[in-house]
Amino acid sequence: MKMFIKSAGFFFACCMFLPGLFAQDAGEILQKTDRVLFSFKDKQANVEMILENRRDKEKIREAVLMQKGTEKRLYRYTKPESQAGIATLSLPGDIMWLYMPAFGRPKKISLLAKSQAFTGTDFSHEDMSVRSYAGDYTPTLLETTGEAYILKLVPKSGKSSYSKLVMQVDKDHYYPHRIEYYDKRGNKEKTATYVFRKTGDYWYAREVTMTDLKKDHATTIIMTDVIFDQGIPDETFTVEKMMPEEE
Amino acid sequence: MERTARHILKFRWSIIIVVLIITAILGLQLKNIRINSDVISSLPDEDPDAALLKEVATELGGNNMGMIILTAEDIFTPVVLEHIRQISDTVAEIEGIRSVTSLTNIIDIKSGEFGIEVGKLIDEYNMPETPAELAELKERVYSKEMYRGNIISEDGTATLILFTLSEDAQIRAVAERVKEKTEALNLPENIYFAGSPMMVTSISELIATDLVKLIPISFVLISLILFLSFRTFRGVALPVLTAAIAIVWTMGIMALAGYEMSMISNNIPIILLAVGSAYTIHVINRINQERARSTKDVIIKALVYIFIPVLLAALTTMTGFMSFIFGAYLDMIREFGVLTSAGTLFSAILSLIFVPAVISILPPGQKAIEKQKLRNKKSFLSANVLVPLKIFLYVHPKYTLFTWFALILISVGGIFMITRSVNIQDYFRRGNPTRIAEDIMVNKFGGSKPVFVIFEGDLQHPKVLQKMRETQEYMEKNPGISTTQSVADLILEMNTVLGGEAKIPDEKAKIGQLWFLLDGQEYMERFVSPDLDKGIILSKFSLPDNQSKKAFAEYMRRFIAENSTESCKIQITGMPFVDVTMDRSLIRSQFGSLSIAVFFVVLLVGLIMGSLLKGIYATLPIISSIVILFGFMGYTGIPLNIATVLVASVALGIGIDYSIHIMSHFNHIYKKGGDVYRSLRDTLMISGKAIIINVLSVSAGFLVLLFSEMVPLKYFGLLIAISMIFSGLGSLTLLPVILVLVNRKQKFTRTK
Repeated sequence: MKMFIKSAGFFFACCMFLPGLFAQDAGEILQKTDRVLFSFKDKQANVEMILENRRDKEKIREAVLMQKGTEKRLYRYTKPESQAGIATLSLPGDIMWLYMPAFGRPKKISLLAKSQAFTGTDFSHEDMSVRSYAGDYTPTLLETTGEAYILKLVPKSGKSSYSKLVMQVDKDHYYPHRIEYYDKRGNKEKTATYVFRKTGDYWYAREVTMTDLKKDHATTIIMTDVIFDQGIPDETFTVEKMMPEEE
Repeated sequence: MERTARHILKFRWSIIIVVLIITAILGLQLKNIRINSDVISSLPDEDPDAALLKEVATELGGNNMGMIILTAEDIFTPVVLEHIRQISDTVAEIEGIRSVTSLTNIIDIKSGEFGIEVGKLIDEYNMPETPAELAELKERVYSKEMYRGNIISEDGTATLILFTLSEDAQIRAVAERVKEKTEALNLPENIYFAGSPMMVTSISELIATDLVKLIPISFVLISLILFLSFRTFRGVALPVLTAAIAIVWTMGIMALAGYEMSMISNNIPIILLAVGSAYTIHVINRINQERARSTKDVIIKALVYIFIPVLLAALTTMTGFMSFIFGAYLDMIREFGVLTSAGTLFSAILSLIFVPAVISILPPGQKAIEKQKLRNKKSFLSANVLVPLKIFLYVHPKYTLFTWFALILISVGGIFMITRSVNIQDYFRRGNPTRIAEDIMVNKFGGSKPVFVIFEGDLQHPKVLQKMRETQEYMEKNPGISTTQSVADLILEMNTVLGGEAKIPDEKAKIGQLWFLLDGQEYMERFVSPDLDKGIILSKFSLPDNQSKKAFAEYMRRFIAENSTESCKIQITGMPFVDVTMDRSLIRSQFGSLSIAVFFVVLLVGLIMGSLLKGIYATLPIISSIVILFGFMGYTGIPLNIATVLVASVALGIGIDYSIHIMSHFNHIYKKGGDVYRSLRDTLMISGKAIIINVLSVSAGFLVLLFSEMVPLKYFGLLIAISMIFSGLGSLTLLPVILVLVNRKQKFTRTK
């Protein structure tokens, strides 16, 4: 009998703890995702933004992106021609500078509403400025499928324009396949789909397509010629550097 | 003729069965009838203003813009602002809504020591709450023309939540959802709905209410009058039944042909009820009269006599209706013409074929016939109206003539006082929420009639944008325009902030770079095409009178002629322009359709009566009554509008019937060798009676429209009733007097 109780106890304990041994905590998954997405020191890439509206009209924008850490980001636009030379510089503390060559010195831009579109794309400033999913959202594991973990992310800040995000995280490499954005009323508002590539030690989103379901509008961002950790100096991310160097 | 009558009786069962089958088939179509009250969609494509307006509506969502008006003592309180946000969010959720703009989400460009801020006027996640924050917001709102008078009233008591519909949206369904969802929020502030989609929806609701409410009343009233006149079940049932069948056929064909129920065609059932019952009244009356004389072949004798007058009456009525097919500006009036003339034809055919067939299978008993004979002799109408009338007319023909002459003379004076109205808010009764909404739009937001100035060219070119600003400044000098909005305003504002100069930049490069900040702003969809090759100035015109609209159209056309170039093509359209054309078309279609109708009626009647002169005599009573009708409109201030413009031709078509019956009857007796007095007596006693019953029932049917929710239809009903009464009177007094005088004179010449 004792034997039986012992073995039953062991069995019970196994049942209790085994899943914990194999399954992962949602927070842990999200931290791993953050590590995949944000662990580089710096990054440089050519970015192509394709804006498609409901009438199937395309607008293409191109820029060179320089990024250091998660908070310093410089976009220098090269296309369309009328917007070539324009640069935006994002710095820690939600500070953004805008340089438009025809107007001379850069101006600071304040972002009152984070839900606003990022320079005409379907990405809002909120979507673009995520520094750490684990820092900004509280995750819950909804489901585990053959290929992915499905996480529900609830924003920690009351100022977010979303009620939740549903993220599919690749089981092997921990990058997101797809993120669904739900508005304050719980309706699905946007969907982002990702195609990841690896270069050197890092995975990066070679292609992200954000579809605004309500507006029937989509933006695809394609990154090419990505170089990681080349030691971009801090000076690159200064207001002066936004302007072309005087010859 | 007799052969036809015998055939009708021979095939009576087949006739009844065929009529019932057709009615069943077409009756099944009734459920497919759709209501469409959008005046814009009824504008003809041949009119350049209308075509451009339709284009703007689809391309830039211009005309598909609706407004929710929220009024409160003070808009700048945290509670009201929160409610505005709630409405904006609720409406944005609705499928088919393309964009929503309100105080709580409108774009704002600020500048300061910190640089430039392109964002929203109010941060919806951090709404102003303290008195200081609210005061700051208020000051900001009133400092900008973009908000003042456009999204918030000058006195701060009313604000707009503007929304546009997507191109493929079901306007009515979306508008109904907007209303439903907004009302479900149960907000304490007053909420009204305005703008084309909302107005179209509320007109459609009124049409539906009218149909459900008025048709039964009309049926009951006409039945009552028929009962009082004939005092038999058959006398009530048959006219009403034939009219009902004709209505079912017409509306069934309307559904089959894909026509939609408009704010004009919704009165087709009432018109057909009035017109359709008339033919049967004459047929039954004639059969009753024959029955009083003999018992043999009563129906055949009656038919032989009544066939031509009823057919002629129907043809002339159809002429009146068909005149709209050629003379009208709006498609819906043309469709109205087609359908009513078809309905009239059905009514006539039914009364000549179906009614005798039914009567022949249900012959009245001997007792009923005796009763009828007695009634014919001693009816109230005959004893108290017709007998004294025939004596008076015979003895004093000139008094009668003089009275009519005086009446016409007085009325001619009134004709010059007729006003015209094409204002859609005049369609609603006072106190109707849509009318209140329109009034708020006019009084607090510079009008509700949208004006669009379309610029085609490179919208990133300084010259194009400068021209836009110049146009706006020019427009604002007109007393009917209080504010204008365009993308040039935003470019100017951003240049002020970034470039330090309050003007449109001179360099294209600067404009191209400023677009970087505007790209993708939802708000911009209302102002520019996605390719930036088309842009509009949005404005509203506030003055209701036509003279101001005409002056404004002229004022703008002059400017455009001088300023529109190949690289910057300027066009203008909007409701004031359509109103001007519509107004012009009111007169044109009034004269057009009326003269077509008069010409063909004189021709038809003359042809059948064998003399053009007779055709002219027959039309005299109805033309007199139309003159009186116009005089009445002038003196009472009832305007000519899209519904009342129909009255004259409809009245001509229906009213001519009375004269036709009098003329044919008079000639019939006179030719048979009767003298003038006998002909007059017989005509008045038999046809006169039918006419009085007819006038009473038709007028009653139309007077029911006084209970309509739509003001033009109320007037339409009243005016038709008045012209029916006068054309009835004309054919019972003026026409007999003319006939008496002419025939006396002829006789006199002959004897001499």
